[in-house]
Amino acid sequence: MAHLAHYRQAHPLPFVITHWINLICILVLIFTGFYIHFPYFSGFMGVARGLHLGLGYLLVINCAVRIILSLFIKSAPTAGSREVDRDIKSFLPQKDNRHQFGAWIKYYLFIKKEHPLGAKYGVPQKLAYAAIPFLILLVAFTGLCLYAPTSVVGPFAAFNGLVGGVMVTRIIHYCIMWVFIIFIALHAYLATIEGLAPAKMMFGWKEHGGLVYSPETHTIIGEDDLDGKDH
Amino acid sequence: MARIETQAVEFDALLKTRGVTRRRFLEFCGAVTVSLGLSEALAPKVAEAIEENVIGKAKGKLAPVLWLELASCTGCTESFAQVETPDVATVVLELISLNYAETLSAGAGYSLELAKKQTMEEAAGEYIVIIEGALMEGWEGNALRIANEKAVDIIREVSANAKAIVCAGSCAVDGGWQAAVPNPGGATGIEPFLKREKAAGRFTYEVDPTVDIPPIINVPTCPSNPEHLVAVLVDVLLVGKLPELDSHNKPTLMFGEYIHDNCPRRGHFENGEFVRQFGSEEERKGYCLYALGCKGPQTKNNCPIVRWNRRVSWCVEAGAPCIGCASADPTKAGFNWVDLNTPFFNRVKNLKIGDIILQPATLAAGIGGIAAIALIAHGFGMKATGRTKGGADFESERKWDAKHPDKAIATAPAAQAAKSTQEAEAAEEADEQTEGGDQ
Ligand code: SF4
Ligand code: SF4
Repeated sequence: MAHLAHYRQAHPLPFVITHWINLICILVLIFTGFYIHFPYFSGFMGVARGLHLGLGYLLVINCAVRIILSLFIKSAPTAGSREVDRDIKSFLPQKDNRHQFGAWIKYYLFIKKEHPLGAKYGVPQKLAYAAIPFLILLVAFTGLCLYAPTSVVGPFAAFNGLVGGVMVTRIIHYCIMWVFIIFIALHAYLATIEGLAPAKMMFGWKEHGGLVYSPETHTIIGEDDLDGKDH
Repeated sequence: MARIETQAVEFDALLKTRGVTRRRFLEFCGAVTVSLGLSEALAPKVAEAIEENVIGKAKGKLAPVLWLELASCTGCTESFAQVETPDVATVVLELISLNYAETLSAGAGYSLELAKKQTMEEAAGEYIVIIEGALMEGWEGNALRIANEKAVDIIREVSANAKAIVCAGSCAVDGGWQAAVPNPGGATGIEPFLKREKAAGRFTYEVDPTVDIPPIINVPTCPSNPEHLVAVLVDVLLVGKLPELDSHNKPTLMFGEYIHDNCPRRGHFENGEFVRQFGSEEERKGYCLYALGCKGPQTKNNCPIVRWNRRVSWCVEAGAPCIGCASADPTKAGFNWVDLNTPFFNRVKNLKIGDIILQPATLAAGIGGIAAIALIAHGFGMKATGRTKGGADFESERKWDAKHPDKAIATAPAAQAAKSTQEAEAAEEADEQTEGGDQ
């Protein structure tokens, strides 16, 4: 088998839960956002706005909780390993990733045949994930610029003034939503195209056997078929 | 007491000559009070102040006012003066000495220009300038000439000694319609023009050289609302101070709240009841105009309260989506409320990329579509290279390690596991799918 083993240590339960919350929030926010952008059908505006606001706050809180937990909860810094370290390290530069950015790009573009070695997250993947909190902050900030009661408050009013009014802020908010949409499409694609094991782990917390990787030696050191349970 | 009574009698006579009843006058004062953001209970006070000043000032020195008309449709003059049907608003004209107004003055030509020159000389630092229409900077200022003078020169000159400038209507605030794309005549608002001139060292405010430009009160909307103008004049002339202004120099009390938040159709908005087509059943029911592009949610003005045409109605109440005519912004170069809000019947403005004009939704859907096609194409590539069954085989060693054995990342040789298990795996059925690069 060519894949690494999937252990629960890679994605501790709290992170499986925050991932679920992110998923639900973002999908509902996109749907209600589209509706507020233009009411394609009738009778939903009040609910759409309520959900949009409520889940917007939840998304920000969930993001903050996720970041804070990553400082305390330990997870496996690489796939194919049960050894754990502070989770935040998976989002920072790791030795396992070093010099592998080009390899990943070449792999995605079919120039490189073999799967690059690395940490739990490949280099482009890590960059994308690390950008998400900033994107959430930006979208929440522009959202509050548009929400009437907060739109008059200092920094939000200043932003509206800077860009040329609420209309322009609205377009910026809308474009960030599209960045989320494209991110989700890419993320869902890359997480499932080589098999459903990562999705099963992330959504159902289901382990899967495979190659074993050592975070100490930064190489594949063997194989674990979970005592034959995974097949 | 006796004095006030005579004054009231005198004033009533004045109203009568204008065809205005006392009742209408008091209603009008109520509207002015509302425009000023005061409680309507204060209307009698405003009425008294107007009476006193109109009568009192008529005998003394009136505040000199110059009404300059630049590139405009004269809509603001029409809106304000309503000369065809004498309105109580014209009474306020009694408060001022309108020394120059192309449309309203009886005189014309040289004598009128002379009146302007005299006002500027004799009442330097005292006169108020009301400006209607956009200033045209194009073709070295020749895009707009008045009495054989470039309008840019007139504005520079008249502003230097003005007590205050009232920009009446959105064109005078940010250039308005004239400044909309492609703006060949170089239309601009007064405040941005004066600020640019000051920065270029071509303008000095003689009245108070410590400040850059004269006090400016921007009273946008298209045309300017007479209630707003009257309220501003009452404020400046009677109260003797500038009204409280926001960062756009618009009176806060008038332009402080979103139309949407005071709109009588708001209930329909919350219920998701929208007019989707003019002439439809929904329109008859008075549903919300959001889906028709109403700009009420992003436009600050008190139209729902002050209303228009002697408080008869206003855009949204009359069934027309707000087109955001109050959103003129004098602080940004090249900004223009028409460009910001067109197409008027769309929810969001058009984006301009070079010569291409398109809706953000079209652009976003285009980029989203390209991304989707790229992913699908990539998916076929993944299938063709056999990576969809658990990804490609791992490299046994990082390429960098191979090239730099002395600085290698891996500290032990890779196990042969990766290679040896591949053959075994080929025999297994590969339905259970597994790890790739993404988790
Ligand atoms: S008609 Fe316009 S201002 Fe009124 S509720 Fe609808 S969107 Fe808001
Ligand atoms: S409702 Fe909108 S378009 Fe109508 S006058 Fe008010 S700001 Fe202008």
